[in-house]
Amino acid sequence: MIESLMKTAAKVIGVFFFVLAMLGNANADQDRRQVSFVPQWMPQAQFAGYYVALEKGFYERYGLEVNILRGGPERPSAEWLKKAAVEFATMFLSTAIVERAKGTRLVNVGQILSRSSQILIAKKSCGINSWQDLNGKKTGLWGAELSIMPRALFRRYGLQVAVIPQTSTVNLFLRGGVDVVSAMWYNEYHAILDAGVEPEDLVVFHLSDLGFNLPEDGIYCLESTFKDDPQSCCRFVRASLEGWRYAFDHQDEALDIVMKYVNEARIATNRQHQKWMLGHMREVIDLPEPGGYQTLLKEEDYLAVAGELMANGLIDAIPAYSDFLENCADVNEK
Amino acid sequence: MELYSYKQDKFFIVKVSGRMDAITAPEFEKSCLGWIEQGDSALVVDLEGLEYMSSAGLRSILIVGKKLKSVGGSLSFSSLTPNVAHVFSISSFGSMFPVYDSLEKALGNS
Amino acid sequence: MKNRGLAFKLILFTLSGTMAVFLSAFAYFYVSSKDSMTKCVEENARNLTHSTVHQIEKVLEGVQKVPLNYASLLSARNFEAGDIAGLVERMVSTNLEIYGAAIAFEPDALAAGAYYFAPYCYRKDDGHLMNVMLGDESYHYFTMDWYQIPRELNRAAWTEPYYDEGGGNMIMATFSVPFYKGKDAEKRFQGVVTADIALHGLQQIVSAIRLYRSGYAFLISRNGVFITHPDSRLVMTNSIFSIAEVKNSSLLRRIGKDMINGGEGLAALESGLLLPDKCRLYYAPLSSIGWSLGVVIPEHELLEGVHRLGRMVILIGLAGVFLMTIIVMLIARRITRPLKDLSAATVEIARGDLDAKLPDIQRGDEIGALARSFEEMRLALKDYIKHLTETTSAKERIESELKIARNIQMSFLPRAFPPLTGKNPMEISARLEPAREIGGDLYDYSLIDDDHLFFAVGDVSDKGIPAALFMAVTKTLLKGIAETGLDPARILNRCNLELCGENDSMMFVTVFCGVLDLRTGRLKYSNAGHEPPVIVRRDAQPEFLPVPEGFLLGVEEESSYQTMEIELEPGDKLIVYTDGVTEAVNAAGEFYSHANLMATVRSCWSLSVEGIATEILGSVKLFSLGIPQADDITVLALSFAGAEV
Repeated sequence: MIESLMKTAAKVIGVFFFVLAMLGNANADQDRRQVSFVPQWMPQAQFAGYYVALEKGFYERYGLEVNILRGGPERPSAEWLKKAAVEFATMFLSTAIVERAKGTRLVNVGQILSRSSQILIAKKSCGINSWQDLNGKKTGLWGAELSIMPRALFRRYGLQVAVIPQTSTVNLFLRGGVDVVSAMWYNEYHAILDAGVEPEDLVVFHLSDLGFNLPEDGIYCLESTFKDDPQSCCRFVRASLEGWRYAFDHQDEALDIVMKYVNEARIATNRQHQKWMLGHMREVIDLPEPGGYQTLLKEEDYLAVAGELMANGLIDAIPAYSDFLENCADVNEK
Repeated sequence: MELYSYKQDKFFIVKVSGRMDAITAPEFEKSCLGWIEQGDSALVVDLEGLEYMSSAGLRSILIVGKKLKSVGGSLSFSSLTPNVAHVFSISSFGSMFPVYDSLEKALGNS
Repeated sequence: MKNRGLAFKLILFTLSGTMAVFLSAFAYFYVSSKDSMTKCVEENARNLTHSTVHQIEKVLEGVQKVPLNYASLLSARNFEAGDIAGLVERMVSTNLEIYGAAIAFEPDALAAGAYYFAPYCYRKDDGHLMNVMLGDESYHYFTMDWYQIPRELNRAAWTEPYYDEGGGNMIMATFSVPFYKGKDAEKRFQGVVTADIALHGLQQIVSAIRLYRSGYAFLISRNGVFITHPDSRLVMTNSIFSIAEVKNSSLLRRIGKDMINGGEGLAALESGLLLPDKCRLYYAPLSSIGWSLGVVIPEHELLEGVHRLGRMVILIGLAGVFLMTIIVMLIARRITRPLKDLSAATVEIARGDLDAKLPDIQRGDEIGALARSFEEMRLALKDYIKHLTETTSAKERIESELKIARNIQMSFLPRAFPPLTGKNPMEISARLEPAREIGGDLYDYSLIDDDHLFFAVGDVSDKGIPAALFMAVTKTLLKGIAETGLDPARILNRCNLELCGENDSMMFVTVFCGVLDLRTGRLKYSNAGHEPPVIVRRDAQPEFLPVPEGFLLGVEEESSYQTMEIELEPGDKLIVYTDGVTEAVNAAGEFYSHANLMATVRSCWSLSVEGIATEILGSVKLFSLGIPQADDITVLALSFAGAEV
């Protein structure tokens, strides 16, 4: 008798506390939503907008308490999302499509870099002056999704290259181990100059010039996250874009903020390099008109990337565009 | 006044040119007395270049003449210019001392 | 003023001269000191760099040897998978410089089925060795630099420095050596042998290098990244090229490239590049690893010694110059002050005070000599002026006596004819103008008795006092003898005899004298070497009166004289003169001449006797205007009027 009474009491107390917690949560929800965000790589100016938005209190203004985690090569940002360790993450469009095709129900809430900054760099001394000369050359390519654009390029122009896998350094290229190296115009190109190579000695092939000007970084969250609280998601994107706008208007201040995170993480980079990077972000990030929510991923770009992924055998089927994208314009603001 | 002197045969010739006046006469007198001391006592004074003679000059001549007389010498004149010839004539010096028209004549005759 | 002038010039000249010498000496000293100092420092830097490089390379080469040996071992022999870990551990345990070592194999190379096979051993902080196996999904070592680079390049290579994975602050570098199976054409890449070293030891060696106050050494990697730097914020984050980009220096970029390409050299850098001030960089390569060591020497610090010395020298120089100025000023003053005093005293003397005291300057040098010369000059001047004064007063005395003598002389000469009773049977007037105050000309006229006029004109040889005395004697004799009533020739005779006595100086006098019978007009006259007078008969031309020959008075006792006679008609005139008239000279050197005299007489004969005399005299004086009078001028004019009818 007493046992069953105790059990019931425990249940009641448990439910009571649960309800209290829920209420508390609800209250917390009303005041400020706590979210976590992880960029797809280590702290650098590629993610300046987010750091700036945090430091300048834009997220706070939109009722978000954001914790920015440190990304990097050890753990892809998609992993964080999949394991629900973060609410938001950035990643390449191609990576996101592969994940979606694999079954991870993530959605694109904002396309940040709507143009490609991917390049192939070659040394003129290897006899390379135009893309035709790439034929037969030892070429460094990044991993799966990041190499679909260069592979598409080679296929389109009928070029056969000797592919050497490339990770996070360009030292193999600097030492002469490969003739051609994959790079981002905003990052590795400048790093090569910073290692003493003269621009005149290099040939740069911008994929965007050769017909592969496809979007890269975007902000993603789980579908469930969005459905639960679309306003917060859209506000996160909006605040982030405001962070980017501020960063472009106040580059020195933005660099100070970025370098703070860089130094905390003890990353081997310097302010000059970040300045180059931020300067370049400015060219590839389209900000929406003031008052706008996000930059939308265009369907044709989505399909182009997805198509390449399929052609390379990285996905079996193309996920629906409508499922992939969330448009904040449809979201009612509270 | 300039004196130009030289010996020729037994004569001592003195050519005088310029003016013989109170200033220059003492020089003539001193030079002649000097030559007389040396032993030249046959003096022929050629006055071709002498344009004027004053009483001082006459006086010097008298002194020289007196000295020559005392040593047994002789004094003659030649080539007098008109002014000087006039003075000689007025003062009768011409009767005191031989006067010749030219030096050659003076040398030829004494 | 003068004082300042000389002193000023002296100071200016000596100062500028010394300054010029000093400055050029200093400039030479400074430049050569700077040069030799710089060369010395560069030499030191070079040596320091080389010795440090050598020191580091010794360590690195020691480390390199190990994997190189093991790689050739692995290429030569076959090993079981189980042996590999032991090899790895031995690599670390037997080499203290090696922090960790690994032997990583190609997929499925050694043990079949093992995709990754890479035993790794490392030394923990406490010294124990830890063995692990590298390689899994998250550590796909095939694409890492330490594996990929030697594989693709087929040669051993050092990685770029990196931070230790363990989360520590350690910077590491890895040397990896590829090994192969098979030979020549069948040679197949098997894997790499790696050795990791912790760079903190090398960092310490380089950081310990301190030159002067702010000089330092730094180490850069193959990519130019700073491995050591006094500013630790630059380490691993910046390369020499990123610094060059920030400072916008193409020079620094060029130097960086030279450094990473194994170059060695010396460069001068402007301020703000590697140091706030201008500096010199000496760099040399660590050839075995492809890194480079740079040694930075602040220029102004290295030259500090020289600058300090230079400042001292300048200070000493300036002090010396200042001292010299004082000394030169004093010396100048020692010269100019006595000069000033001397000149002041001289001014006094010049004003006439010959007793003005000259400054007492007792010195052995030129100034003293000058002062003594001044004093001698003053005394000599004093003497001379005294003599001059005496001579002048003597001269004045003589002159005043001469004036008196003249007056006396003139008083001898009759002025005007004493008036006769009744009409004058004749008129006579004379003018005499002596060449000096007293002359040698004479004239005289007086009535011997009622009916006879005696007149005479004479010219004594020479002029001046002797002639004047002779003239006085002659005139007195003539008058005295004439009054005895003798005829003119006998007058001259007697006069001559008197004058000849004791006449060594051969003074003589020419005389024309005449006695005129006033009733009859008969003129008896005689001449002793005198100019013939001019006779102007009424209604006829003037002529020269013929005169008897007669020698000068006072020379020859035997001289004889003659009397000539003419009859004067009423209206006839006679003009007697001395050769002062005819021998007067004009500016052109021409004589007045007898012709001129005649012409003048022709023009004025009608005048009174005073007029004629004055006219002729005036004419002569006009003729010889501007020329000092050389001889006494006498003109006597006589006009016969005839006896009273």
